[in-house]
Amino acid sequence: MTSQLRVAITGIGTISALGNNAQESWESLRNGRSAIGPMDDPDLAGLRFHNAGVARNYDPTAHFTPTAIDHLDRFAQFAVIATREAVLDAGIVWTDELRQRTAVVTGSGVGGQSTQDVGFVSVYKRGRDRVHPLTIPRTMANAATSQITMEFGVTGPAFTLSTACSSANHAIGMALQLLRSGAADMVLSGGCEAPLSFGLLKAWEAMRVVAPDTCRPFCKDRRGIILGEGAGMLVLEPLEKARARGARIYAELAGAGMSADASHITQPTVVGPVRAIRAALADASMSVEEVSYINAHGTGTSGNDPAETAAIREVFGPLADRIPISSTKSMHGHALGAAGAIEAVATLLAMRESLLPPTANFTEADPLCDLDYIPNVARPAKVKAALSNSFAFGGLNAVIAFRAISD
Amino acid sequence: MPDDLAERVITTLATVKHIPREQIKLQSSLADLGFDSLDTISMLFELETTFNVSIPDESARSIRYVHEIVDGIRQLQAATPPAAAPSPE
Repeated sequence: MTSQLRVAITGIGTISALGNNAQESWESLRNGRSAIGPMDDPDLAGLRFHNAGVARNYDPTAHFTPTAIDHLDRFAQFAVIATREAVLDAGIVWTDELRQRTAVVTGSGVGGQSTQDVGFVSVYKRGRDRVHPLTIPRTMANAATSQITMEFGVTGPAFTLSTACSSANHAIGMALQLLRSGAADMVLSGGCEAPLSFGLLKAWEAMRVVAPDTCRPFCKDRRGIILGEGAGMLVLEPLEKARARGARIYAELAGAGMSADASHITQPTVVGPVRAIRAALADASMSVEEVSYINAHGTGTSGNDPAETAAIREVFGPLADRIPISSTKSMHGHALGAAGAIEAVATLLAMRESLLPPTANFTEADPLCDLDYIPNVARPAKVKAALSNSFAFGGLNAVIAFRAISD
Repeated sequence: MPDDLAERVITTLATVKHIPREQIKLQSSLADLGFDSLDTISMLFELETTFNVSIPDESARSIRYVHEIVDGIRQLQAATPPAAAPSPE
């Protein structure tokens, strides 16, 4: 195999129910503190479920001018905030050339839903004959990517992709390819989502996959997902360039693997995730023995958790029993298109801190879920290599692989 | 002196653009006030809501000055019989 360009992660940023930045998020993760709670919004009464991973302490006015708040839906606000943190964290010194050679790739499953909801309520319910003129620029799924390009004046390849719950992992995977292909020298990549609007919540309610209590991945008494919101963003650049500029390196983004189930629009298979995990390992030239942590997709649904467990067993064989696995969705909820990015940040912090975040709210394991899910309490462990899984509705799977940098 | 209708137009513009209303004169041009294309369509939307009128696209495209907006709203109101007040947002 020809040697591939190695890619480093030099900056991280995140905002979610866990906190408004990586530090706050880590405090929640390391303490196994679930941020799931009541949505506390009278407009959301009349739902069968009332809990979510809400970015409760987020105040847009602390981050944006009034005009910017007019122009950015909540999901794009999250993206810009997380990117600001990641860019600052990476210590990027912008030059004209670097701006031209920097790409932006974000994932979003549903775009500016709350903006769309307001417009639809206006015409469908209130009998108005028009919606606010900023509805389109706020709602479009690529708004976050566009706002990031404008914020930093970066003019390289920029796009958004949408694969439901795998959006962020697909985005990060594509970012890796942009760097390897030479199309960009730096990529700002991750995902963002703000899906807690009444119309969309009603749609989730109708799917009967949202838990009325909390998210208990892999547990016998799990009752479904808990929706979340937020963003995660990474700064990716060639390892040698990162080293040359003396950047702090969280880890190597060693590989990405993708697959399609081609089976059912919502029911997951085992074989699809197996193929994505194997593809990620192969892309990263990573052996099964190397992997010492998996951040699971772990949604807490009846469908995902046994299928994901079976997929991990099939790929890792007897080694599966020795690999600690956790679903941090138990703490931040399922942020759909942002999920993979929030979980990438969690994984990178776990690698840096040598502490594995737990699966919170853990009660009793489902007999069909018989791996080590790090129940409730974070566990000290040196992580040489980690995987982060995302398996979307629609059977679209994306797994990313991180490797610790040896000094 | 701006009359009541003009005052309400100025208030609407100030709200849309997030600027002090004192900054807005009848002689001000939208360009001088920093209105870009998105500000302008937002302004038209708010004016239509506030005054319960429908501003035609061709009129909207030709607006340059605040006093033109005031005159235009006055004409539209004169041409349109009072409709039922819109329900609150």
